[in-house]
Amino acid sequence: MVNARANEIASGRSRLGAFLGGRWILAFLVIETVYFCFTAQGFAHPNSAQILLFYGVEIFLLAVAELFVIVTGGIDLSVGYVLGFASIIATKVINGLAEAGLPPLAALLAGAAATLLVGLIPGLVNGWLVAYLDVPPFIATLSMLGVCHGVSELVIHGVYAMGLPPLAAEVGSGHLLYWVRGGGFSFFTRPEVERGTEVFELVPGIVVLAAIVIGVLAFVLSRTRFGRHVYAIGGNRDAAIRAGIPVRRRLLGVYALSSLLASLAGLVYALKYVSGKADAGAGSLLDAIAAVMIGGASMFGGSGTVGRTLAGCLVIAVLELGLRMSGTPTFDKYILVGAILVLAVIVERYLQQDRK
Amino acid sequence: MHTAHPGRPGGFLASPAGRALARNWAACFLLIMLVVFSLTGRNFLSIVNFQNVVHLQTLPLLLAAAETFVIVTGGIDLSIGFVAGLASVTAATLMQRLAAAGMPAGWVILLGAVGALVLSLLPGLVNGLVITRFKVPPFIATLGMWGIANGVALKLCEGFPVAGLPEQLPRLGNGYVLYVLPGSFFSLFDKPESFSDARVRELWRLVPYSLPFVLVLLGALAFVLRRGRFGRHTYAIGGSMDAAIRAGIDVDRHLMGTYVLSSALAGLAGVFNVFQTGIGNYTTFSSMYELFAVAAVVIGGASLSGGKGRISGSAVGVLVLAFMENGLAISGVVPFYRYIAVGVLLVVAVVIDKLFPDLF
Repeated sequence: MVNARANEIASGRSRLGAFLGGRWILAFLVIETVYFCFTAQGFAHPNSAQILLFYGVEIFLLAVAELFVIVTGGIDLSVGYVLGFASIIATKVINGLAEAGLPPLAALLAGAAATLLVGLIPGLVNGWLVAYLDVPPFIATLSMLGVCHGVSELVIHGVYAMGLPPLAAEVGSGHLLYWVRGGGFSFFTRPEVERGTEVFELVPGIVVLAAIVIGVLAFVLSRTRFGRHVYAIGGNRDAAIRAGIPVRRRLLGVYALSSLLASLAGLVYALKYVSGKADAGAGSLLDAIAAVMIGGASMFGGSGTVGRTLAGCLVIAVLELGLRMSGTPTFDKYILVGAILVLAVIVERYLQQDRK
Repeated sequence: MHTAHPGRPGGFLASPAGRALARNWAACFLLIMLVVFSLTGRNFLSIVNFQNVVHLQTLPLLLAAAETFVIVTGGIDLSIGFVAGLASVTAATLMQRLAAAGMPAGWVILLGAVGALVLSLLPGLVNGLVITRFKVPPFIATLGMWGIANGVALKLCEGFPVAGLPEQLPRLGNGYVLYVLPGSFFSLFDKPESFSDARVRELWRLVPYSLPFVLVLLGALAFVLRRGRFGRHTYAIGGSMDAAIRAGIDVDRHLMGTYVLSSALAGLAGVFNVFQTGIGNYTTFSSMYELFAVAAVVIGGASLSGGKGRISGSAVGVLVLAFMENGLAISGVVPFYRYIAVGVLLVVAVVIDKLFPDLF
C-alpha cells in the first residue's frame, strides 16, 4: 500500500493509471446504459436522463460530501441522518414561518437559510471530535448518527413533519423550462393549457441547483489551496503537518462541509417530497459510499475526484432506474450495488498494481 | 495518533482503583443506571422486567459477540445485521416449504434451522476471501455484503414476513425453565395442563430458555477469545499485523476464520429470532443492528484499531443500551433519548480509551 502510493507520487500521479481507471468506470456506465436501453421498456428515452438526475439529486450531494471526507482518509456515517434531520428542520421552520404570516417565498428562503445553518452543527461537532479530540471518524460520526436520529425523532415525535406551503412543492418539483407541443416555450411556470395537450418539463430546478453546488466543489477540490490540503492530509497526515498545513482546521472544515451538503440534500428532500422524516436518508449511506468507491477513491485517503464520483453516482442511478423500468423489484439493486462496490475496489487495485 | 498525546492521567486515575474503574466504567455506568431507573420507574426493578430485557436482547448480544471478534482483529463487519436478517428469512422459508410438504414439525424446525445456519457461513466466507485474497478493506467488503445480504433476503421473502411456520417455534423460543404459582405449585419447562391459558399472567415464569443459551454461548466465546489459541492469535493480529505474520501466524487463514465465525454467529442470531417471533421477520433487520453492535462493542472497551476488547465488555455494552431504552420507557420518558445517549457514550468510551491506551 505504502509502496504503491510512493510510486504513484513518484510518477507524477501516474496519468496512465488515472486514465485507465477513469475510462474503466465510464465504459461500465456506457455498457450498463446500453443494456437497459435494450432490456427495459421506455428506458431509451431522453427523459430517462432527466428522471434519474431528478431522483438522484440527494445521492449526488451525499456522495460529494462523503468524497471530501474519504479523501482525508476519514468516513462520515452520519450524512444519511443529517439529511433526515435537515428535512425535518426545513419542514418545521418553513411551515412555522408561513403560519406566522410571512409570505411563502420569504418563509422558504429564510427556512432554507436556517436549515443550512443548523445543518452545519453536526459537522462542526464531528470535525471537532475528529480533529481536536482524535476520536476515530467512524466512532465520531456513528455517535452523531445516533444524536441526529434522536433529536429528529424528538422534534417530530416519531411521525412525519408536514404542512409545507404549496410553493415548496412548486420549487421542489419545478422545472426551468416547459415546452408545449406545438405551442412554444414557457420559462419557470407551467403554462395553462387545454386538457390533452402535452407539456414537456425540461431541466428540473433542483438538479440545476445541485449541479452548480457540485461544480463549485469540484473546482474547490481540484484547483484551490483547500482542495490541495485535503489531498495532502489524506495522502500523509504527518507530512501535511510538517508542511505547515493547518490539518485540524482543514478537517473541521471538511466535516462541516460534509454535513452542510447533507443538509442541502435534506432541504432538497423536503421540497421534493413536501415532508420531512428522521430516516429519510437512512438507506442512502451505502449508495453514497459506494458511489465514491466505484469512482475509484481509496478508503485510505488521498485519492478521488468529483468527476469520477459523479460517474459512480450515475452507475448506481442508471442501475436503479433501469431495474425499476424492467419491472424487477428494487431488491436486485442492493445486491448489484454491493457486488459492484466490491468489484470496483478489486479492479482499482489491479489497475494500480499495473502502474507499478 | 499523530497529534499531541493527551496528558497521562495522574492522581486517582493512575491508582489501581482508578484503573479498575476506567476498565469497568461501562459496568459501573450500568449499575448506576439500574439504581436510578429503579427509583424513577415503577416496576423497573423486578425479575420479570430484567429477564424480559435480557431475553429480548439475545439477538443484539450474539451480534455484539460476533462483532467483538472482528473488531479485535482491527477489522469491522457491517454485514452482520443483514446476515441475521437473511438467516431468519432463509430459516423461515425452508420451514414453510417443508411444513407445507407435510413433514413432521420436529424435522421441519431442525432442517430449517440447520439449513439457515449452514447458509450463513457463506457471507462470511465471501467477506474473508475478498478481504484476505483481494485485500479489500473490511469496511468496503462487508458494506458490499450488507447490500447483497439485504437484497437476497428481500428477494427471498419479497419484502413480507414469512408466516405459516410450525406453532411449536415460539413456544421453544419463548419458553421458560420454571413456572411457579406462588404458594401453590411449581412446574418445570411447561405450565401444568390444568392451568388455564387465561391465567398465565399470574404465574411467575422464570429463566427463559434464551438465558442459559446465551450465557453458555457467550461464556464459550469468551473462553475462546481469552484463553484459546484462536483468541490469542486474534489479539495478536489486532495488536500488530506485521508482528503476527513474523510470529508465524497464518493471518489470512485466521481472518477467514474470524469473518466466518462472525457471519455464523449472525446467522445463529437470525435463526433464534425465528424461534422468538414465530415468523421470518425481515423488517426488523433494517434497524441498523450492525451499527448498534459496533457501538456496544466500543462502549464495552474495544478499540476500532484492534487488539482490545472483551466479550463480557461487549455484553455490558449491549445491556447498557438495552436498559437505557427500557428504563426510559418505564420512567415515562420518550425513548428517543436513547439514540442521543448512544452517541454520548461512544465518545466517552473513546476518551477513556485514549486516556488509558495500555488498559486490558
